[in-house]
Amino acid sequence: MARGNSPSPLWGGVRGGGVRRARLAAVFLATCLFLAPTLSAHAENALIARTIEGFVRPAYAAFHETTGRLDAAAEKLCAEPSENSLAAARDSYRASVTAWSRIEAVRFGPVTEQNRLERILFWPDRKSIGLKQVQAAIAEQDPSATDVTALGGKSVAMQGLGALEFVLFGTGADDLASAAGAYRCSYGLAIAGNLDSIAAEVDAAWTAPDGIARQWTNPGPENPLYRSDAEAMTELFNVFVHGLEMVRDVRINGFLGKTPDSDKPKQAVYWRSAATVPSLRADLQGLSDLFKVADFSGQLGPDEGWIAQSIAFEFANADAALKAAEAPPAEILEDGARRAKLDYARLVTSSLSELFGVRLAAALGLSAGFSSLDGD
Amino acid sequence: MRTPLIDRRAFMKAAGAGFALSLSPRALAATLSVDAVYATAYQRRDGAYGAAILSEDGRILHTVELPDRGHDVTFDPVSRRSVVFARQPGTFATVFDHKGEAAPVTIASVGGRHFYGHGAFSPDGRLLYATENDFDNAAGMIGVYDATDGFRRIGEFPTWGVGPHEVLLLGDGRTLAIANGGIETHPDFGRAKLNIPTMKPSLVFVDRVTGDRLEHHELPPELHQLSIRHMDTDAAGAVWFGCQHEGPATERPLLVGSARRGEKLELVEMADGVLGGFRNYIGSVAANRDAGTIAVSSPQGNTMAVIDAASRKIVETRSLVEVCGLAPDLDGFRATTGTGETLGPDGAEWSHPDYVWDNHLARIG
Repeated sequence: MARGNSPSPLWGGVRGGGVRRARLAAVFLATCLFLAPTLSAHAENALIARTIEGFVRPAYAAFHETTGRLDAAAEKLCAEPSENSLAAARDSYRASVTAWSRIEAVRFGPVTEQNRLERILFWPDRKSIGLKQVQAAIAEQDPSATDVTALGGKSVAMQGLGALEFVLFGTGADDLASAAGAYRCSYGLAIAGNLDSIAAEVDAAWTAPDGIARQWTNPGPENPLYRSDAEAMTELFNVFVHGLEMVRDVRINGFLGKTPDSDKPKQAVYWRSAATVPSLRADLQGLSDLFKVADFSGQLGPDEGWIAQSIAFEFANADAALKAAEAPPAEILEDGARRAKLDYARLVTSSLSELFGVRLAAALGLSAGFSSLDGD
Repeated sequence: MRTPLIDRRAFMKAAGAGFALSLSPRALAATLSVDAVYATAYQRRDGAYGAAILSEDGRILHTVELPDRGHDVTFDPVSRRSVVFARQPGTFATVFDHKGEAAPVTIASVGGRHFYGHGAFSPDGRLLYATENDFDNAAGMIGVYDATDGFRRIGEFPTWGVGPHEVLLLGDGRTLAIANGGIETHPDFGRAKLNIPTMKPSLVFVDRVTGDRLEHHELPPELHQLSIRHMDTDAAGAVWFGCQHEGPATERPLLVGSARRGEKLELVEMADGVLGGFRNYIGSVAANRDAGTIAVSSPQGNTMAVIDAASRKIVETRSLVEVCGLAPDLDGFRATTGTGETLGPDGAEWSHPDYVWDNHLARIG
């Protein structure tokens, strides 16, 4: 029995067709001029090189930049506590959340070392471990929690964006505008400093010429992480498939019930800082930008161009719906019209999952990793 | 050597591809009742989920529709019924009779529990044991179902760990081996892994009659992110297990091991070239007790490997795109893939491009 789809050389390697190979060569010629010299000169990997140069590195650099500003804003808040400096620190926090959300779907590489993912954001925290630990540190004025290095070795729930959100926005946070919040501020400053150092490490690891960027763009038998182009491409593909699943199943379903009586506004990520929807928008904008930068059009046949167009269309739909829903989670859920917009955004993520996982995968001759994508 | 099994194969081949389709239901039932056949969950390219019965020569003999994605199939040779469990965090298990004599029965998990995708029957076929999640307490449970009474849930006992995955009944008919993968999930948050920095997998032996924990095994502390998930038993009674590493991809822990009552877990040493091919992910483990071999598969690494159980050496590796399902077949293994392929032990290959075979393949006869 014959196969339905021949895999392209990009994905499968063995049984590919000449037409796709020619298209890949054209893509390579068009794009290699813009590649950094440290990256691959390997045709099949031009697409990966584009994603690194055009999305991954800039997004991690942007996150690092925001954590630097957050650290500075926290330092100012502690040195000169006031309503204004508290507002500035809170704004910086939200900027870091947005920058992190844009890149958080990239759940491989340096960010997975040393529990960095969880140290940046430990969420969901079902048993409120983080909340209890943060409250205890503040109540006991634990001196070790105000030291950046010591904090980095503590529970992951005490040291990331979730912990800092409680410090800046949780019960008692208004103390930060005066000397009454001195301990709380120094703990917050340590969290910000720790976030900044983690962001710096990830940024540096992606910028390094011999690091993950070289490995991802140069698959081969000696490469410990990627032995083939198919494996390298699957890593990229997983970002979309898992990223969409995260937005829908973890972030939206976590607080938006099937019906209003099963809504749980306090299960929304970043509900205290009202950054829930901005972070969801940034999650999807990050995926959308990554999709644009990767530019799969060279791998699609003439009758498959609709897939990329539909993906772009649905990303825009999701963003418009989220924009219309934008409010703190409790307000969204109480307002029928906003809730419906959020519900629609959830539906669109399913449509996007289908477009990526079924349509695009089939067009690229990939089975979408049905078993290999977190199959259990 | 010409065994009756091979004779039947020759007959099936001679009968041609349309053979099963041409059979009357009664004749099909007769075929299914005597032939070695296989069951697996699948997704069709149009998105529909189901479970399929495959013949020895790669044909789809029968399918059962499922409401959502399935995972493993467990077969009861006494009643000749199969159960396909929902993939975690699913809440259904479908009991089906592939002889076409009875309509499928769907079991729903009870409140506060969901299925993890695996289960085992008691030797007499009266009881079904399913790995389940007590999700509010993040505690693994074995749900006990009465197969003689419409699969009514009659009890449960703890797995002594978080995130139980596969459960096996050992040769004594009484001891259950349970792989606690160690990963906490909660259906409010889909499949999100909630405790990666602090996970603690284990392999536990439990008395299925009393629910008592007989033995509790853990890997060394530095391997606490190595999730023990799939198992099979060899002819000597050892439990072979395969792991999925949740730590950084730059780490290369050993992924396959064995366990015996009264002994420490032992991991199988492998050359870097073989180990690296698994990309830190073993998707399925199957033993061929007659041949004395264990097969493990990695859909992530597009590799399957066969280990000699006695010497613990790799005797064969095969590259196969998205290979995952494995079942013993003659002196080798049958494998299924996420690209709709089925491979026989002799290398024979069948393709159903409209089907995406799920992680596991069960021999049901």
